[in-house]
Amino acid sequence: MGNIKEAFLTPIFKGNPISVLVLGICSSLAVTVQLKGAFVMGLSVMIVTGLSSLVCSLLRNTIPNRIRIIVQLVVVALMVILVDQVLKAYAYSVSKTLSVYIGLIITNCIVMGRIEAYALGNKPFASLMDGLGNGLGYAMILVIVAFFRELFGSGTLFGFQVIPQAFFDAGYMNNGLMILPPMALILLGCIIWIQRSIQKDLQEK
Amino acid sequence: MNTNSNTYTVIYSIILVVIVAAVLAFAAMFLKPTQDANVKKDTIGQILTAATVTGDDILAAYQQEIESAILVDINGEEVGTLNIEECEVYGNSDLKRQIAAEQKALPVYIFKNGITVVPCYGAGLWGPIWGYVGFDKDLKTIKAVRFGHKGETPGLGAKIADEPWFAEAFTGKTVGEGEILFEVAKPANRQTENNGVDAISGATITSQALGKTLDQWFGFYKNYFTKNGITAETVIDAVIDMTGELEPVVESAN
Repeated sequence: MGNIKEAFLTPIFKGNPISVLVLGICSSLAVTVQLKGAFVMGLSVMIVTGLSSLVCSLLRNTIPNRIRIIVQLVVVALMVILVDQVLKAYAYSVSKTLSVYIGLIITNCIVMGRIEAYALGNKPFASLMDGLGNGLGYAMILVIVAFFRELFGSGTLFGFQVIPQAFFDAGYMNNGLMILPPMALILLGCIIWIQRSIQKDLQEK
Repeated sequence: MNTNSNTYTVIYSIILVVIVAAVLAFAAMFLKPTQDANVKKDTIGQILTAATVTGDDILAAYQQEIESAILVDINGEEVGTLNIEECEVYGNSDLKRQIAAEQKALPVYIFKNGITVVPCYGAGLWGPIWGYVGFDKDLKTIKAVRFGHKGETPGLGAKIADEPWFAEAFTGKTVGEGEILFEVAKPANRQTENNGVDAISGATITSQALGKTLDQWFGFYKNYFTKNGITAETVIDAVIDMTGELEPVVESAN
């Protein structure tokens, strides 16, 4: 059981896919302008990594080695299209804002990376947990970045005004740079910096 | 079993693909009605923006504010109506069909607030672009517009849909009378003042495509506009028609 708990918890902080492994940067820059988008994107990635790790782990002893990567891709593509279709049906406005990025989960290195590195060599339940954990780790960073970007870029959280109008009247202005992708990269850099100063073993000698 | 043999690999991949295809086909069929309803609601939302109508429930607001929704042909004659009860509208695929069709059926949405909305649809840089244009009673002056696109470049061409200032630039512009009905280009390249707006820098092709699309569709509607537009002159004409019989009385009074 310790193994499974570890599989789930490690990627959330100690082995976070974004801040430690530095995977999936592209989408985390693109969808973090607003919390809502980041939240749905994080959830989608979590479902995709979890389920595709589970399916690949179930199939792991039957997959022909020569078409291993192709089989993984087909499974991941299946999950991504399903998530995309469900979003289009039940969360149309979010699906419109996320547009191509849901489809691009398939190219997210985290998904394929975890299948190749973990799911093909471990039992299904542990793989599911590993996938979910990695998705959650990804989602967490996305939400943190989106929190700061939406708060300082638009003065809102989840679309609700949180910075009072009085501040704007007194001369406060939203930071336009926060809405642009470079700021996401800078915030991400800050998160990695904080994590490395806490976790000394990550620092290169 | 030898999982590395050719036969196994081929059979395995065939079975896998068939299963995946079946799952996807089932999901697509199951979710299609909900997705279509969403797309329709989105289309109606865009029409409402062009008609400057707002409301929390889009479908209810549409049913409440619409006066009539008709189909006209290229000569401006009415050839059919759209069902308002069922919120029937022409979606993008319907609009696309009209461009090449010999017998066109072009939708016109007339709202109670006097605004008439007509659609347009054409090719952008990467995929289709479309829009809804709301006209004042004279069917010449633009009141509001709403544009959409499938996949124009984010930050450049996508601005036609995203940037409020671009849509606002259309307000008050009119459809031209000569060769060019409407254009989207930089001021130096525009033929006339009031039947065009500035293009977006960095998005030349999308801007030009939008101008061409608007020009083409305004051309389709040209006859309808001339026949049904209510201008100051047509009002005076109508008044003269109505009071025509009274004129002799007025003269004799002199």
